[in-house]
This record gives sequence, structure tokens and C-alpha cells, in this order.
Amino acid sequence: MAELPQAARGFGVTFFTMFKKVVTEQYPEDRDKYPPKPRFHGRHQLNRWADGLEKCIGCELCAWACPADAIFVEGASNSEEERFSPGERYGRVYQINYLRCIFCGLCIEACPTRALTMTNDYELADSSRASLIYEKVDLLGPMLPGMLPAPHPMVPGLTDSDYYAGKVKGSVPEQANDRPAAGGLGATS
Amino acid sequence: MTLTPVITEHWDSPDLYTLEGYRRFGGYGALASALKQDPDSIISVVKDSGLRGRGGAGFPTGMKWGFVPQNDFKPHYLVVNADESEPGACKDIPIMMANPHALVEGVIIASYAIRASHAFIYIRGEVPNALRKVANAVEQARAAGFVGNNILGTDFSLDIVVHAGAGAYICGEETALLDSLEGYRGQPRLKPPFPAVAGLYASPTVINNVETIANIPYIIERGAAWLRQFGTEKSPGFKVFAVSGHVNRPGIFEAPLGITMRELLDYAGGMRDGRKLKFWIPGGSSVPMLVEEHLDLPLTYEDMAGAGTMLGTGTPMVFDETVSVVKAVTRWLEFYKHESCGKCTPCREGTYWITGMLERFEHGHGQEADVEKIAHVCTQIAGRSFCALGDAAATPYPAALKYFRDEFLAATHTSADEQFDPVASYLFAGATR
Amino acid sequence: MTMTSNNGSDLAAVEMVSVTVDGVTIEVPRGTLAIRAAELLGVEIPRFCDHPLLDPVAACRACLIEVEGMPKPQPACAQVVSDGMHIRTQVSSPVAREAQEGVLEFLLLNHPLDCPVCDKGGECPLQNQAMSVGRPQTRFDGEKRVFDKPINVSAEILLDRERCVSCARCTRFADQIAGDPMLELLERGAKQQVGTAADQPFDSYFSGNTVQICPVGALTSAAYRFRARPFDLVSVPTTCEHCASGCSLRTDYRRDTVTRRLAWADPEVNEEWNCDKGRFAFPYLREGRITSPMIREAGELRPASWPEALDAAARGLAAAGSSTGVLVGGRSTVEDAYAYARFARVALGSDNIDFRVRESSSEEAAFLAAVIAGTPVTTTYESLEQAPIVMTVALEPEDESPIVFLRLRKAARSGRTRIVNVGAVATKGLTKVRGELLAALPGAEAQVLQMLPADIRRALGQPGAVILVGERIASVVGGPSAVAALATETGASLAWVPRRAGERGALDAGALAGLLPGGRQLVDPSARKQVAAAWGIDASELPTGVGFAGENLLAAARDGVLGALVSGGVELGDYPDHALAAAAFTGVGFLVSLEHHHSAITEQADVVFPVAVVTEKSGTFLDWEGRPRPFGQVFRDSLYESDARVLGMIATTMERRLGPSDVAGIRREHAGLGLWEGFRGQVPDRVPGFTMMGEHQFALASWRALIDAGVMQEGEPFLAATARQVGVWMSARTAASLDHPSQVRVIGPGGSIVLPVQVAEVIDKVVVLPMNSPGCSIYRDLGARVGDAVGLVTVKRHEGEGS
Repeated sequence: MAELPQAARGFGVTFFTMFKKVVTEQYPEDRDKYPPKPRFHGRHQLNRWADGLEKCIGCELCAWACPADAIFVEGASNSEEERFSPGERYGRVYQINYLRCIFCGLCIEACPTRALTMTNDYELADSSRASLIYEKVDLLGPMLPGMLPAPHPMVPGLTDSDYYAGKVKGSVPEQANDRPAAGGLGATS
Repeated sequence: MTLTPVITEHWDSPDLYTLEGYRRFGGYGALASALKQDPDSIISVVKDSGLRGRGGAGFPTGMKWGFVPQNDFKPHYLVVNADESEPGACKDIPIMMANPHALVEGVIIASYAIRASHAFIYIRGEVPNALRKVANAVEQARAAGFVGNNILGTDFSLDIVVHAGAGAYICGEETALLDSLEGYRGQPRLKPPFPAVAGLYASPTVINNVETIANIPYIIERGAAWLRQFGTEKSPGFKVFAVSGHVNRPGIFEAPLGITMRELLDYAGGMRDGRKLKFWIPGGSSVPMLVEEHLDLPLTYEDMAGAGTMLGTGTPMVFDETVSVVKAVTRWLEFYKHESCGKCTPCREGTYWITGMLERFEHGHGQEADVEKIAHVCTQIAGRSFCALGDAAATPYPAALKYFRDEFLAATHTSADEQFDPVASYLFAGATR
Repeated sequence: MTMTSNNGSDLAAVEMVSVTVDGVTIEVPRGTLAIRAAELLGVEIPRFCDHPLLDPVAACRACLIEVEGMPKPQPACAQVVSDGMHIRTQVSSPVAREAQEGVLEFLLLNHPLDCPVCDKGGECPLQNQAMSVGRPQTRFDGEKRVFDKPINVSAEILLDRERCVSCARCTRFADQIAGDPMLELLERGAKQQVGTAADQPFDSYFSGNTVQICPVGALTSAAYRFRARPFDLVSVPTTCEHCASGCSLRTDYRRDTVTRRLAWADPEVNEEWNCDKGRFAFPYLREGRITSPMIREAGELRPASWPEALDAAARGLAAAGSSTGVLVGGRSTVEDAYAYARFARVALGSDNIDFRVRESSSEEAAFLAAVIAGTPVTTTYESLEQAPIVMTVALEPEDESPIVFLRLRKAARSGRTRIVNVGAVATKGLTKVRGELLAALPGAEAQVLQMLPADIRRALGQPGAVILVGERIASVVGGPSAVAALATETGASLAWVPRRAGERGALDAGALAGLLPGGRQLVDPSARKQVAAAWGIDASELPTGVGFAGENLLAAARDGVLGALVSGGVELGDYPDHALAAAAFTGVGFLVSLEHHHSAITEQADVVFPVAVVTEKSGTFLDWEGRPRPFGQVFRDSLYESDARVLGMIATTMERRLGPSDVAGIRREHAGLGLWEGFRGQVPDRVPGFTMMGEHQFALASWRALIDAGVMQEGEPFLAATARQVGVWMSARTAASLDHPSQVRVIGPGGSIVLPVQVAEVIDKVVVLPMNSPGCSIYRDLGARVGDAVGLVTVKRHEGEGS
């Protein structure tokens, strides 16, 4: 009979816990209530210059840095007719295998043009292996106002060095390849 | 010390440049006596005279001739380096203009001594008048039978080619000169093999300066002992000194080696407008500068080396107190940057780098850290470049820094033109900016 | 390190000197450079301009070291060590270390920060040495010099002048090794740059080597541009399949695709070089392949399963039996050719076999059997270098065996070797090897060989003299006989330089009628016994009579004497008699074709088997020396099978017992035969032919250009663009006699072609046309063979179109 008070004490714990504030966060119902920290390592993004040209130069330094061998890149030559990035080289193929990626961020450190950054997107579940290999189209950042989808020429009169010096603020009409800009801001150099 | 005009003795004679004018004073007499001698005995006379090369390095001439292998069944060549392009040097061109036959006679005697049947005179292309004078002299000598087959009835035959350079300082470097002469781009060659063994067209070649060769007829005529009575034990003979810059009477003064700069200044009429001497260089921009305290040093190879500089071409440049040393050094480095041939890394890149930094000083926004950085970069060039051009480029700044550090420090905020009004340093009267 | 052998033959005579490097004393041969002496001790001195096969230049100054007794640091790459010399490298000398750091800082001054976009990134000597001797941070805060980038120095080679460190490796390679000094340094100072004359691109056959030896990314190739990074690549040592030079190559691949090929250092063969064809002509390995077996059904080819195709082939071949002909192309490895030879004799009981799928003659066959087949390696690249004289006959080394050409040039540059070419043209290639031309009309070389000038004949009598004879000797009546006789009379060593990689191996493997492996004669009883034992059959089961070969074989197929043909690696266009070859392949009752690419022959075949290309199998090529050049399989999980395996499968389906079909098994069986010491057949002795020409006719000289319309060069437009311009070469006198035309119509027995005229050092009465270049095939367009008489008609420019 000496054990009964012990059991009652145990239930007491349970009972009082019912009145405490819960720490469980409801997913997916309440996901917007709990955004990740700003520096959370989420899905990658391939950034664009303000005029829509891609920042990625296909240098493969991210693939080199990757400890999980999750990144595959193939470079190619830009040409006057078909330009994807300022300068000579662009990333023709860009794949990240999210089944291998460990979100360490070494690729971000390695990127010489700040083309590759990480977003806060953590919802990376899917039902097949193939769909978890993200292609370049999946990784490219959104078209913001003033951007033209690549390929298109550089801002007339500017060189790749000017892009790196931050002189490009948006696309200009001369860059349009019969494709409408997303609301041009114009370049200031 | 008195002047001893030898090569320049009859420069006031208006037709000295002609064959008759030259022969009036006994010209080509040395040739006749030389051709009666054994070539080897001529080499030993020159060796005994102790004549040292007048092109800048001061290498004993007789020894250079002695290096040429004999009985090797290869053609030998004599090449005269008349590509005088050193900033501040102006002695070979006047010799060629006023007394070209002394050069031609020297060439014939030297060729005879080293058994060359072809001689080349490589003249700086920018001085067509010197080129014409020498080419004329060669033609006159040829017409008189001093050049061509069986000279003066002997077995000795010689052809002299006068060749114009195309405007590259590096072609004054002897092996680059050979490349240029062969029709290649003028760049120095790897040594060994030295030109005495494999020079022009891979054959034994002697390369001498104009003044050196112009000395030869007089040495042959008057003997080794005669030359030895001038100058010092290690620097025998006399030298054509060309004094330029802020002096009252710039010009050419032929004097025994060992004369002091103070004496030369006197001959040159003293400093312009009685101003104070700031600095001077003994022989072309490639040798470190000196200041007032060095005025009493004898101008010999050994004494100049003792003072940390070189006799070089023996063409002192004098700068008075109106001159910005920052500007002067920048100009020199711009010259070396422009003239660097590009073959070796230290010279090609070093001159590019230093010039960039110096130009900032000149415009008054030099950086204090660069004062030492330039000095350090100079140490990275000196002794590590392929040829002497790199060493020369590393020369002006350290010497300037030694004596005028404050001026460089001031150039971190004040431009050279603000420190020193450039108009004041102009040589011609009444000049304005 | 690479030691260049100066005099391999008398090593004992090399004088040794003792030198101390960083306190360690070693003995090295006199004349050794300090940089090599240090390498022997494991001290790697930084270097850019230094290259062991190029003359020292000491331009980059990265290798400065301290030498005791010398006031200034000395460049190790040009400093010859002397006895008792004390050297201090960066390991023990602060002076050397500081000098090296200084130079590296200078080199990086104007070097752009291109590493992320530069093809050299990851395998760049400048990157590596910046890490080992560079400063962690730059002190340079000025503006770097800029150039337009990149520019083309040829269609294949791109130049980025900003990256150049002016080491002059490329210009020295072009000048010294290749003899194509179109690449030169221009301008001076910091503006110094590599460049070419405006109208003279760097169209050298060896241009790719400059990309490989460039110590930075200044020279890159259009083919490899931005394709991959070094760490992506798997490198496999391989052997070049394009010619009989036998270059060692490094094949780099990424994800089952070859991305590039590099020359692999092999001092005895290709040193560190290869030609542009070997380097760049590899897209064919992947493109345009036959992917599955095909059989003909109701007149049409259709894809079939392997068992179905094997069954069809076995049935057809069993029906034809010993009346089957076997043609083995020049792409075959030794093992494949051996399998063909064995398949013909054992599975088919036929001796109708020939590896010479090109112009050939019975005299040539006899010559090859008696003099070349199965002989051990005696004449080597080293022999060329040491020879007092090398005579080339019916051979244009620069086009037909480029590494032979490079070695001849090296020999000529050393001043030891005199080079004489018996031919009709003093080509640029001959000039580059400082050779003399012994004029001979095409087809009449034999006469010239019989009446050699006395001094040349005497020179050929010197020890070490070499005669190199090309495969084109087959077109010279009496040529093989004359060459063999000359070698016997003078004692000069004789080597046969075929063009294709597989020919020498196929000859030794017995893929020629009347010839069993190793030079054994089919008619020789003891040879039959040896071979039958190795093949596990009775000697009586081997065919008895010598079968058809060469054009006889084709004629027999056309005329129905042969019931079937098995062909592997055969191109219709390679046969001089186009009509005969086409009729043979269309007329034969049953045709089995083993190919990796579709061709005019596979179109006609009854059964087509896809076979492996060189990257999908292992094997061996014999180079012209007879030296085995084995190579491994690059793509190990390839689904394609080698010719040998396919033949094995057919034999199995035919229920014939054949020996092993895998490479190791064939090598074992082949090697088990050993060297043949017995009867080799009679050396041919034919009367020399002569060239008959009418008054206004010209003798046709021709050979295959290195870069031409060959099927294994397909898919590489940049390489094709560096090919020599196609035209008619003629002497200045001939051109003058035609009133200096810009174009002529060349009229042959079977057609004519209009080509631009190029005046060259051709002997009179001769014109030279490329044998098989884009827009000109003498067989197809003229119906002419080498030595045939052709006519010339001047063409006004506007008539030129549509010939």
C-alpha cells in the first residue's frame, strides 16, 4: 500500500503538465508562424545579375568543395549570339543531388561570383531519387523586376568587369531578345 | 688635371670627317704599321695598354680579343656597338659625326687582330646623320683601298657593313645586338656561350664600343706605354667625357681617367646661374647617382665602384637644385619600362610595377608604404634579371632614396611639380610651361 | 623527371661529375643542368620556361638558385653543373628562396584572376607554385595590363595573352621541335605577347602540344574549352590508334565521354609529344556508332538480337566455308587481327585473307613476308636519332607518321643525321628535317634506288644507316624488291612504316594470304605444325594452297569465286579501284561486316555486328618499329565487344572450336608461338617499273594528308580547319608553262577535278594531289592511282564551280 502515493505523484506530474504551454510546433499547419533563422542552410539558389544574366560561370569550384560530391557542373562557352553570363564561360549543366547534400555550405564559400547562395527553403522531400536531383532550372533564382531571361547580351558598353564592379542595376531595352523585360529599371553605370 | 684631346684633337678642323681631312693629321698611318705586324702582337699591344671597354662595363679590351679562338676554321666577326641610347650618354655619336675615320681605322686594325674578314657597325637608327657620316667614311676608305680585298697589298681582306638599328635600347646589349643584326627580334642571348666563342652567326665575335675602337689607331701609332702614362694603374688612358645638364657650357671634354667631377665642372663653366648642385650621375642613367660630396673623387672605374656607383659611359649628367628627384627617377623608370625587352620576368614586371608606383609619387599621391616597397622591389630585380638592363632599372631609385628620402615622403601629399617648379629647371632661357 | 638520352648506346662512356646540392653530394653526367641534378635528389625547383626537351632559355627566372662562387643567383635551368660545384636551392639558401618568391610575385602581378574560368585551373603550374613559393597576399595595387581575350592562333588553339607568363615554351616548341615557327613573341616589355603573323595562323600538325606544355592557361584548345576540371577526369594510359607511330596517350574521360587526350611521356617512342590528330580526333569514338547487330531481311537491314545475328552469320559463313574471303582493316589490334587470321584458317578453312585494305601488290606481300613479318625490334626511334643517314622511300613522315618526322627533325637538328628522301617533292616536311630530295618520278622510285649516287650509297654502308620505306611502295613496280636489295647490299637497316596503327600487327599476326603468325609461311611444313599445335588442330586441317589477296581477292568476290566475305574496319574509298571494290562487296553472295560506324560496306552487308572502339577494349598495336604498344580498356563497363570476341561467338555458333577470344588468352596463345627462325619466303626480285607519260601529261604523286577526310577524324571541326589547303602542287616551271593558272582541271583516267594551284618544290612533269582530303580523292575523283599519267587544263575562275 505504500506504493500508491508514489503512483499518484506520477500522475500528478502528468496532470500539471496539461496546464503548461506546449513546445510542439504544428507542421505544416503552422509553418509560417515559425520561419527558420535567416542564416539557416536551406535549398540552394543560383543568382542572377540585375539584368537577368546568370552569375554562375560554370567554374565547378562548388563541386570541388563539396564533401558529399553532390554537385555536378559542366561549363560551356558564351557566344555573342547566346550569352548566359557576363564573360567567357557559363554553367551549361548545374545539378545538385539533394539526397547527397549535407547542407554544409562549403559550396557557398567556394563560389567566386556569389552565384550560389542558400535559401531558407527546407521542404525537400519527394518521392523519387530522380526528382531530388535539382537541375539548373530548378535552382535559378526568380526573375525580379528589371530582369530579362538569359540568354541575352550584356548591357551595351559594359564588360564583365563592370558587372563584377556592381555597375549594372537592371536591363536596358537593347538587351531584349524579343523577350519582354520584367519591368525595366535601366542600367546605371 | 689638363685635358688631353686625342680622338677629339682635331675636331675643330671642319673636314676631319673626310678622308683627306683625317689623313692630313696622319690618319691611316696606324693601319699601315699594324698590317706589317703579326695580329697577335697587336692584341698584345692592346693588352699591354690596359685599355678598358668604354661602353660602360669597362672590360679589358685586349683580353676580350684574346678570347677569340684561333685556327678554328670558322669566320670571325667584329661588331661595333654604336647603338648609343643610354639616357644622358652622348659621346659615341659625336665621335662618329666628327671623327668617323678614327672608328673605321680602328675597325680595320681590330678586325686584322682578331682575323675577322667581316665587320659590322651597328648604329642607332635614330641618328641618321651619324649613320651617313660613318657609311660615307667606310665608302671613302673602301675607295682608298683600306677596306676590301688585299688591303694595302697584304693578304688581309675586310668588308665593313654599316647597319642601322630600329630603335630599341635593348639592342645596345651586346647579345641582343647580335640577334638584331641577324634579323631576329633583339633580345639578349643566354650566356654561355659567350660571343667570343659563338656570337654572330654562331661564330667567334668581338663586340666593342665606338670609343674603344676609336682609341685603337692611336694606341697602335703611339704604343701601349703612351696610353699607360694617362690615367691610373687600373684605369689607364683617357676618356671622352660628355658633360650635360645644368652647367654653363655642356660639352665634350677628353681628359685622362682620374680627373675629378669638380675639375670637369670647371671646364664646363660651372653650375648654371651659380645654382647649387643637387646630384649628378657619372655615366648614364644606369649608374647610381652621386651628390656634392663625391665631386672630388677621381673618375676611374675603381674609384667609382668604391663610391657604390660606376663610371658607366663616362658621360656625367648634372642636376641642380631646381630638379625634382622624384620626377627624374620616374622619367628614368618610365624609360626602362618602355625599353624592357620582356624576355625575363623581373625586368618586364618589375619596371611595370615600380613605374606605376613612382607615377603616383610624381602626382603627389604616393603612399608612404610604397617608399620602402619600391626599394624592396628593386632588390627583387637587381641581380636576378637576364641582362644588365634589369640591373640598370633597379639602380636610380635606391640611390635617390639614399640621398633624398624626404622628397619621396613629401610626394605622398605634394606633387613633384608643386615641390619644384619645372620651369625653373628648364635649360633654355625664358621658357615657360 | 625526364632525362633526355643524349647517347644511349654508350652509357659507360658518360663522364660523371660530382655536385653538391643543399649539402648532399651526388654524381651526375657531365653537362647535367642544376635543375635536373636537384630533381635527382627530390628537390623541386620552381620553373616555368624550363622544359627538358627544349633548349634552355632562362627567361622566367623562377628557378634562381645560389651557386657558390657566383655573386648573383643563377637560373638552375641553364646552369650546367661542373665538378665540385656547390649549389644551394630554396631548401637551404635564403637568397634562392627570396629570389624565387620575388619572381613569383612578379609573375602574378599582371596575371588575371581567371582561375575560376580557366581550363588550366586545378592542374596549373602557376597555381601550384603560387601555393608553394608565393606570398599569401599581393602587394600590387596598380592596374593589370589587359588584352582582348581569347584570340585564335589557329582554328584549334586559343590564346589568352593576359594569362601568358612569357616563358616561350610554345614559341620554342614551334620553332625547335615542330619546325613551324609561326608562333612568335611580339612587342616588348609588359606588352610582350605571343602571336602569329596576320596571314599565317599556327596551323602546325603539332599545335596541341603547346597547350599541354603551357605552364598557365594562356593556350587552350577549342575542343576542350570549358569541358571539365582535372578533378572530374579519370585518366587512363592508352595508345594512339591513328597511325603506326605508336604514341602513348593519356585519355581523360568524364561520365563515359572522352573529354581530351594528351601525350603521355614515353622517351623511347613519342617523348612527350603527339600530333593533333592523335590529340583531337576522338569524337568519332562516341558519335555515329552502330548500336546493335543488324541482319538483312527482304533486302533491308534491320536491327536484330545478338543470337539472331550470330545465327545468320554462322549459317551464311558455314555455307561458303573455305570460299570465304576475310578483310581486316588497319584499325585492328594485334589480338583482333590474330583472331581474324585464326578464324579464317580454323573456322572457315580459308586462306583468302588480307589486311591491306588499300593499294597493294603481290610483290609487296612477298616483301613483307620475307623481310618484315615477325622480325624482332631492331630499327627504333633511337636508331633514327643515332643514324648517320636516314633514307625515306615512298614516305612523307610529317603526314604519314608524324612522330617519325619529329624524331627525324631532332636527329637533323643534332647535326648527326643526313636525311635523304626518294620522291617527287621537296615538301616543307623535308625542309624541316633539312633533308635532300633524290628526285624520282612517282612509280619510278625503284630505278632511282638502283642507280643511287655513289656518296649516298656509301653513306648507307655506314653502321647505323637506316632506310625507311612507306606503305606506298606497294604502288611502285619493283619498289619493294629494290628496297630490299639495297638494304642487303649496303647493310643499312630497313624498316617499313605503314600508315595505319594496325597494319604491322596484322602482318605479324598472319592476316595475309600465305602467311601464318610470326612470319611463318603457310607452305612450310614445320611452320604449319607449330601453328596447328597452338590452334589445337591437326596441321592437315590448315588450308593448303595460298589464298587470294589484294585485288585478286576482291575480283574473286566480284566474280563469285568466293561465296562470302568477312570484313572488319574496311573503307570502300581506301581501295584504288573503286569500281572493283564496290562490285566485290555488292556482288559477293554473303557479307558479314564488323564495324563501329556505318559505312558503304555495312550498307551492303547481310549481317552487321557492332564492335568496340579502342576505348572499349584492351589490346596491342605494333608500331612501325614492331614494338608492342599495349593499352588497357578505358570504359570498363562498355557493352560493345571486340572483333576477336565477335569472331569467337560466330565460331561457337558455327560449332567450330577456336582458341581463346579474350585479349589475355590470345596474347598467351600468340606469345606461345615464339619467334620464327625458319623459312620466311623468297625476297621478291622484280624489274623496276617506269612511268609512262604523254607529252602533255604529268605523273600523279599523292599521299594521305595527316588531317584529311579519314572517317576517324569526323566530328572535330576545329581540327579539320587546321588541315593543309587542298590543291594541286606543281613546280613553278609547270605553272609557268600553263601561264600561271590559279586553278586547273586535273584529268585522270576516270574523271576530273578542279583544284587551286599551289606552286611547290615539285619536280617537273609531276603534280601532287591529296589522296583523300575533303573535296579531293584521287581514287574517287580521278580514277587514278599514284604514278598514273594525268592531264592538266587551265580553268578560268568562273568555270571552277561544279566540276
